[in-house]
Amino acid sequence: MARVQLDHITKRYEDVTAVDDVSMEIEDGEFVTFVGPSGCGKSTTMETVAGLTKPTDGKVYIGDREVTRLAPKDRGVAMVFQNIALFPHMDVFENISFGLRLRKYDDEEVRHRVEQAADIVQLEGMLDRMPDEMSGGQRQRVAIARAIVRNPDVFLMDEPLANLDAKLRVHMRTELQRLHRELETTIIYVTHDQAEAMTMSNRIAVLNEGTLQQLAPPLECYNEPANLFVAGFIGSPSMNFVEGELTATGFESDNVDVAFEPELVPSVTSGDTLTLGIRPEDVHLVATADGVTEPTAELHATADVLEPMGDEVFVYLLLSEEADRSMEQEPATAPNQLLMSVTPDTDIHEGKEVAVVLDRSKIHLFETATGDALRHDLTEHSDGGAGPAATEADT
Amino acid sequence: MTDERTDETETDETTTDTKADETSTGTETDETPNDTEADAPASTDDDGVPKHWAYAREQAATATDGGVTATDGGQSAEASQQQSNVLVEGEDAELDRGPFQRWVASSISNPDRAYRAMFYTATIFFLFTTLFPFYWLLMVALTPEGQQQDIILTPNGFNPAAFVEVFQVLPFHWYVFNSFVIATASTIVVLVIASLAGYAFGRLQFPGKIPLMLLVLVISFFPPAAFFIPLNDLFNTQFVALEPITGDGSLYNTPGAMVLPLSAIFMPLAIFILTTFYSQIPDGLEDAARVEGTTRLGALFRVIIPLSAPGVATAGVLTFIAVYNEFFFSFLMTDGQPENWAPILEGILGYQGQYEVMYHLMAASSIIGVIPVAILVIIAQEKIVSGLTAGALKE
Repeated sequence: MARVQLDHITKRYEDVTAVDDVSMEIEDGEFVTFVGPSGCGKSTTMETVAGLTKPTDGKVYIGDREVTRLAPKDRGVAMVFQNIALFPHMDVFENISFGLRLRKYDDEEVRHRVEQAADIVQLEGMLDRMPDEMSGGQRQRVAIARAIVRNPDVFLMDEPLANLDAKLRVHMRTELQRLHRELETTIIYVTHDQAEAMTMSNRIAVLNEGTLQQLAPPLECYNEPANLFVAGFIGSPSMNFVEGELTATGFESDNVDVAFEPELVPSVTSGDTLTLGIRPEDVHLVATADGVTEPTAELHATADVLEPMGDEVFVYLLLSEEADRSMEQEPATAPNQLLMSVTPDTDIHEGKEVAVVLDRSKIHLFETATGDALRHDLTEHSDGGAGPAATEADT
Repeated sequence: MTDERTDETETDETTTDTKADETSTGTETDETPNDTEADAPASTDDDGVPKHWAYAREQAATATDGGVTATDGGQSAEASQQQSNVLVEGEDAELDRGPFQRWVASSISNPDRAYRAMFYTATIFFLFTTLFPFYWLLMVALTPEGQQQDIILTPNGFNPAAFVEVFQVLPFHWYVFNSFVIATASTIVVLVIASLAGYAFGRLQFPGKIPLMLLVLVISFFPPAAFFIPLNDLFNTQFVALEPITGDGSLYNTPGAMVLPLSAIFMPLAIFILTTFYSQIPDGLEDAARVEGTTRLGALFRVIIPLSAPGVATAGVLTFIAVYNEFFFSFLMTDGQPENWAPILEGILGYQGQYEVMYHLMAASSIIGVIPVAILVIIAQEKIVSGLTAGALKE
């Protein structure tokens, strides 16, 4: 049990900066997930905590000790690897007890603790099997047992579920949550799957290109993303972005105008380029927008493509007549397109002209130049969306 | 003809012929054994060249008695039509082939036969060149002293007592023991150092890695004789520091005088073998071992080497055999006395006196000297075979 602190960690390979000045503090017993696209530095960051990679700059603390220069074995961490990494020449018992035997525990103690760990991950009766005789899920549980048997201070998991099939992954996800509840150990978890990140963690750390974008509870990352990257990365399908500029009456762009008092965003001045973000579920048809207390002005659009997902339908709306249906751009980010999600019983079909409104309380405004969030709520009476300062990650 | 048929042709020509007959004629029901036999030699040609077959079949049919010809009367007409086609179009059709020509023709249409013939030829050649000297050695050993003339395939007399006499004339077991110790020590030195080098070359990135590997390769090209004079000089020099170990302070007449140069000479091959093997162990396994509590060195000995067992066995056995069989340094680095660590080579040459050469004892001692290596190879055989082939296969 220990807290983990990263202090301005930088890792440079010859000409690539994998991790760029990342600082964060992870509380004792917390479950923190590093999430980000491939190559964003999340695994490298974890390896610096494990000691497998030495940072070029910065310090790592586990508990009250500085461990930056310590060998992995002396850090009190345990790790579960993406490729599981069981020792193929040892049976399950030997695999789980590997660390204990290295630390010269007596046989009685080793057997007791291995059985206890095997019990927690439900591997009873399999201790004499070889790894190649087991299924993927069982191997993953052996790897977890090997990690928990030493009672580590910090538990590191590097995409442990990536190689499992979809059904097993969901099952192991709940198992891991149960494990975290039972063990109350600090867990750092790396994944590129935002579903894992959203469901399991106390806080998620969104990384991109080696820098920390936001470190906040999952719902805060979802509802109050710190910048354009987090807004686009968290949530599936991703948020709609409309580029426009700030005028005396509010936000103006080719297709979407939203009126508000410019004082709501004091840090930018009239004429600055802004990006408006709105999630698909916060775009409503006028006919069904009764629940929206403060809708924006109506937008007229044509339903272009429907994607029925079963529980909901994604509708790609074309906002302008001179629709440029270029396929080169991502649908949701094309300037004249808007993605809306509606319930399956909605009366809509491809080609239908519809009027939609946006939920003002769910509109996000970003400064295009820096990508930073300016405001997360455009209802004028609230002081919502405390602004970028409150969600600034580098604290 | 299908491939399946082609295979059958090799195993049982007569059966295939019958099938071929039925398949291509369809109408022929009354076959006499005579007919089948007559068809047999021609049919193998026709696996690849059906027209030829039809022609040969026709020949056979006319050659046998009229009853047969009568029963497949309609068939004959068809066949003779084909025959005329053959004569017009297929100008290479040969009417009178000898057995060798037929074999050549069938090998062209069926190359597997040629490959198999080559395989047997090569195998018999290698078995002859490797095993016959052994056999002859045994014959010489069994021939009583003084009757060694004109031994070709059988011994002139029968004297197994030579295998006992070997130990009575000289302390031959002592020489064997010396050689065994020298070869074992060299193997251990080579495996330990080559493992460390192989780990560095195979698993680490460092500047100058490629030039260093090339240097190792270059050293392996040096003729051992080039080292002899400086080494002999060095080993005859007396060092005070060595006095407690060797008595007179020089390495001459000690195992060190052979273990050191021989280890160095056979090191590069072992380094290359082990580099290949160690580089194929997944990084995750080493990382896992290090997080679990080993150092890098510990991970090498507990995880990487056990998983590379075939490679280690291959390098070890090759080194052992090479040192055990080595002539040059073994002959020159001791004074030939068994108590001065003279190896087996000196023992065998010891049966060569000033006035007589005891060939039967030399032969018997040579055979005895092979036994330790033979045992070693039999024990390690399985690992070596997988080791020599594993480098070529990505697992």
